[in-house]
Parts: sequence; C-alpha cells; structure tokens
Amino acid sequence: MRVKAQLSMVLNLDKCIGCHTCSVTCKNVWTKREGLEYAWFNNVETKPGIGYPKDWENQSKYKGGWKLENNELKLNLGSKTSILLNIFANPNLPKLKDYYEPFEFDYEYLKLSNEEYFPSLKPISAITKKEIEIEWGPNWEDDLGGEFENRSKDYNFENLQKEIYSEFENTFMMYLPRLCNHCLNPACVASCPSAAIYKRDEDGIVLIDQNKCRGWRMCVSACPYKKIYFNYKTGKSEKCILCYPRLEVGKPTVCSESCVGKIRYIGVLLYDQDKIEQIAKTQNKQDLYEAQLSVFLDPFYENVIKQARKDGIPENFIEAAQNSPVYKMVVEWKIAFGLHVEFRTLPMNFYIPPLSPIVNKTELFQSDEVFGNIEDLSLPVDYLANLLCASNRKPIVSALKKLMALRGFFRKKNVEGIIDEDVLKQVGLSINQAQDMYRYLAIAKYEDRYVIPTLHSEFHQDNFKKQGTVGFLRNDFGG
Amino acid sequence: MHNNIRPPIDYSLKFVDLQIQPRRTVTSPIWSGIESKEIPYSANYQNVHEYIPWRTLTGRIQFYQDHKWMQLFGENFAVYKPLVDAKSLSNINKEDNTLTLKWSTAHQKFGIHSTYVDLLTLQTLSRGGPHIWISESDAKILGLKDNDWIEAFNKNGVVLARVVVSQRIPKGSAFMYHAQDKVINTPISERTKNRGGVHNSVIKVLLNPLHMIGGYAQLSYSFNYYGTVGSNRDDFVVVRKLQKPTWSKKQKSQEAL
Repeated sequence: MRVKAQLSMVLNLDKCIGCHTCSVTCKNVWTKREGLEYAWFNNVETKPGIGYPKDWENQSKYKGGWKLENNELKLNLGSKTSILLNIFANPNLPKLKDYYEPFEFDYEYLKLSNEEYFPSLKPISAITKKEIEIEWGPNWEDDLGGEFENRSKDYNFENLQKEIYSEFENTFMMYLPRLCNHCLNPACVASCPSAAIYKRDEDGIVLIDQNKCRGWRMCVSACPYKKIYFNYKTGKSEKCILCYPRLEVGKPTVCSESCVGKIRYIGVLLYDQDKIEQIAKTQNKQDLYEAQLSVFLDPFYENVIKQARKDGIPENFIEAAQNSPVYKMVVEWKIAFGLHVEFRTLPMNFYIPPLSPIVNKTELFQSDEVFGNIEDLSLPVDYLANLLCASNRKPIVSALKKLMALRGFFRKKNVEGIIDEDVLKQVGLSINQAQDMYRYLAIAKYEDRYVIPTLHSEFHQDNFKKQGTVGFLRNDFGG
Repeated sequence: MHNNIRPPIDYSLKFVDLQIQPRRTVTSPIWSGIESKEIPYSANYQNVHEYIPWRTLTGRIQFYQDHKWMQLFGENFAVYKPLVDAKSLSNINKEDNTLTLKWSTAHQKFGIHSTYVDLLTLQTLSRGGPHIWISESDAKILGLKDNDWIEAFNKNGVVLARVVVSQRIPKGSAFMYHAQDKVINTPISERTKNRGGVHNSVIKVLLNPLHMIGGYAQLSYSFNYYGTVGSNRDDFVVVRKLQKPTWSKKQKSQEAL
C-alpha cells in the first residue's frame, strides 16, 4: 500500500441551474488571452446534446482514453511508435469548427457609424478579424437549442429508444458542468512525447509543464474529455490547473467559489497508488465504478493513517481527508459518480445524478410508493447510467433512491411532523446519515463544502528554483 | 421603517472608487433586503430578520388582493386570462409559407433586462445576436433549420432575428427573450426599410387600469415599480423565413474604420 492524497471535486447536478457563472469566472481568470479565445477550461453543457467540442464523447472519432487489449491497457490513440509516427500530423484532433470560431464585435463602430440606419454590429472572427457568420458556439445547444435530430447524436443515447424523447411531452434535459477530471490514470500524461504532463505528487493536480511542452497536441486527442486546449499563439497546450494557486492557500477554485447554486464540493481523498493499474484493467467496464471505489482508503482506519504518515502525507491532509465532503458522498453514501468511467482514466471529479420531475404518476411519497416510480422520472435512468456509470444502472438507481428517500423523509418530518425511519431503511440509510446528507446537500455551508488543507510547499518544491518563474505566458503578464 | 435607511457600517469608499463607477452604499427604503458585505442580498431580509411587518393589510405575505377594483376585474388571485385581441393581425395579408404564432417575451438567461446583453462572453455563450425560439414542428412547416434568419411581423412592426429550433417550445409559440438589443447582428427590414426591430417592435403597449390603484396597503404608487406600467407582453405575430438578410449599403467593414 502506498498512500497518496488528491484534492477532488463533487458536483451536485441536482442543484445545477445552468447559469454558466463557473464558466464565465473561469474564462475571465484563465483563458481570456490571445491564442485561447476558443478555450473554456470549464464549460456547461445542456444534455442531451453533442456538447463542446462537437461529439467529444465519441472516442471512435477522437481516439481518447484507454482500451483493454489482451489484458493490457493501451491508449486508444495507438502505441508509442504510432504516436511518434503521427507526430507532425495528428489525424485525431478536433478542428476549430468542432470547438467554434471565436467572434468579437467592434463596439467602437456604434459611436463612429455614419449609416443612414441605426447601427448594428456584425460579428468578426477573433482570429482572422474578418466578418463571419456565427454557426456554432461553446454553448450552442443551451436549453435544448437545435433540432432533436442533431442533438440526439449524443453518445449517451446508446441502447435507448431515443425517438420518443423527441416529443414535447417526453422532453428531458439536464446541465453538465465539465472541467479537467485530474484523473488517477490520465491518458494525456501517457500520450505526451515530451513528457511534459505530470500528476502533481502533493495533491494530484494534473499539469502541463509549459517549458517542456512542444505543442505536439497528442494530449488533446488522448484526453477523452477534450479538456486540453492548444494555445495557437504560444504553440503550447494548456489545461485546467484546478486553480492551484488558490488551493495551496486553502481557498476553493474560482468555479467553486462563484457557483451560484452551491453545487460544488472540494475535499481530500486518500487512495492506494499500488492498486491503480490493476483497477484500470478491470475486465468488465460495468465494474469500473465499484473498482474505482476500492482504491479509496478509509481515513479513519489506523493502518491507513500510519501508512499515510510514512508516505509523507502531512497531518493537515489526513485531517482534511477525515472531514472531506467528497469522501462522504463518493465512498460513504455512494451518491456521486465519475463521468464516463469506461474511458478508464479513473476520473476524480464526481457527479451526483439529478432528480427530475416524475411523469405519469399522481400520488407521490406515499411511503411504499416512494421508489415504485424510479422509471417514471422524466430523465431516463439508462441515460444517466450511460453518462455516469458505464451503463451500469444499479448504482445510479440506488443513488437516486437515496436522494428521493431523503426528500421523502424530510418532507414527512417537516410537513406532517412524523419521523419515518422506514423510508430511510429501505435504502440503507440511518437517521444520522440522513441528517448528515441534509447538512451537506441542502444546507451546504461554505466550510462544509470546501475542506481544503493548505499546501506544505516546503516539502514539495524547491522554492529558490521557482523564484521569478510565472505561469502560462510570460510575455502576457509583462514578465 | 425607521431603520430602513442606515449608515453603511461595513462599507468604505475611496474617491477613486467613485471615479470608476457609481456605487451603492445605503440600504434603499424601497427594497426589502439590506446592503451588507456580511450577507448576500436577498429580498424580505428586513421583514424576516428585523421583524418588520410586510406592507400589506395583514402584515404578512398575502396573495389575496382585497380591493374593489381587483374584485371587479376578477383578479383577487393570480388567474389565467386569455389573450386580449389587440387586433395586431388585422389588415395583414396571409402570405404563403407563413405561420401565425403566439408571441412571448420572457426574461432571458444571458442578461438582466438589457444589462450585460452585449457582453462578448455572454454573447458567445448565447447565439451571438438576437434570436427567436420556435418549436420543431412549426419549423418543419416553415422550412426552417436551426440558425436560419426569420422575420416576425404584424401591424405593429417587424423584428428580424436568427431562429433557434427547439423541442422544448410548445407548438404554436414563438419566444423572444426580451431586451436583446439591435446593436448586435440585426439586419435591415425590407418592410420598414429600417433596422430590424427588437422584441417590443411587434407589441403594442396596453394600459392595465388596475395598476392605477393607489393608497391602499401595498398597492401604492412607486415610480418604475408599481405605477401605471404598460402591460406589453403577449400578442400574435406572423413568422416567415427570411431568404437573405439585407444589410445597410453604407455599413463599412470594421477594417475601414
């Protein structure tokens, strides 16, 4: 056993209102620079839809993630040799039109215009500065914009009778905020010919060394979430850095801090590094979720604490792991799931599946009827299972039932004044657990959502060496 | 009421701050929240936390409107009322390939009324210009694809915009989220020979006499809030596909400036 610590995020989709505040604040802080106009380290998608970049989930197109071949993990992108052979012309890259052509307006024209009409601005390309027609954007499918025929190319409709969902009465939708997953088994790291990408030892954040990156863009293809962006100005790739300058001093990321719905949680997970390879090699993709759970270590277990100390995990990280909201949701309550575990990168952001309106049922929350209608949720369980659990329905159903039971329990308690333990028992929750879940999911206080230990940089980096170096683009900041 | 206007305890301003933009400092007596750095602004804060009765007859939040005019108009409670026929379609020739749709101008997602609408980031997250939502089945009848140009008109005026085709819009409706200014990406209308209009171009302002009730509990006149505001929402429009948008001839390209 080798104990490692990772700062990990949970996103409660049940509370996401799709306001894009996370995207806007992230954009303002990190990617409002020449070369990265098209990049959104954090974006929010309306599902069902093909997303940003177009069709990113379809790995037969982009060759991201891992596959299992003869019990060996192989990059979908191909072997080391074939990556090297394609080094000057990577055929699996998303094109600019798959992202979108960034546009801008010359607002000055409104003042200077001498037209005979009220002036109106035509969009110009942010790259070529020529007039363009806007045909796609980072959030084109917002609130189900666009024909169902196109949006239903969504990869998550696999094995679903999707036609019926095109009808107005059967419409369903959900929001999906996406950022780098800071995976345990990152495909981007493995694909880089220059070995520029690394998973930071101290808190598991995946970073690109801007000095080593040579812009081969193999990582852009290899990341199945398409969360690495090529900066055409500097010729180097960039990605979400989980706002590590903020995390290091105990503050949450910008996307979390600004979240209006308080849907995001950040906390420490302890995991056993020795197990990762074996887990990523789990034969049946449907077992990957359970397998990934087994890699996380109980931070209260004496042997784990002993080993963690031996492996150099600082005390404040161990303490944070014990108070981690992420550990509670992912491991204890089992209500949060990694996005597309079948890509085998072992993603470390977790999503709580959203509840949705119940259709075709008149009676709700009659004690024995609470779970009868899981199939009547307007959001098909199979769709969620495809998205969050490699089409394994069981864990998703169990999580949704827990969330419904929680509502049923508190509704009865608050409206009728009855403590109905049976509702909870059916889903294997105790009253204490339910109260805890209520505290974390409904009340969601700032100090409960973010349990972030400050970093002991004195252990991890040579600060003298780092003196005078800065982040992404030196010239941009006048360095 | 006496503590509605309070000194800004946790707020300090430097001259530089005021040079940049106007700042809010004191809690307004009109709104029910307070200006504070300690708590986020939320409505009814004073009523709940400082035990100030709501300014209704009962002193509580109440939905029932106990006023004679309200009774006469049958609006004691929120009720559904069918559209007023404002005769917006009279004398409009029914052309081929057009549809008459119900026009709604709801609040939008990427702006607060007209504020922030022309912000580049929010235009990027939206559609990069004014747009009208219609249902898939109506789009099929009109031969429209997502992002085509359309023209919506009636006796009152014309609005040109891109179309968003979506399954979430009920058949027979057209939504144009309000206050998407025509300073961005709006062509010239052939009908009016003028810049293609906004969401209100096809709407007539109707006065709701009930808004003239005053001096009665919470139903008292307040400028720009509870006064005689125009009720300018629902109407009918004729929608058709715009084959080719026309732009001003004099409109110079940006490089020329």
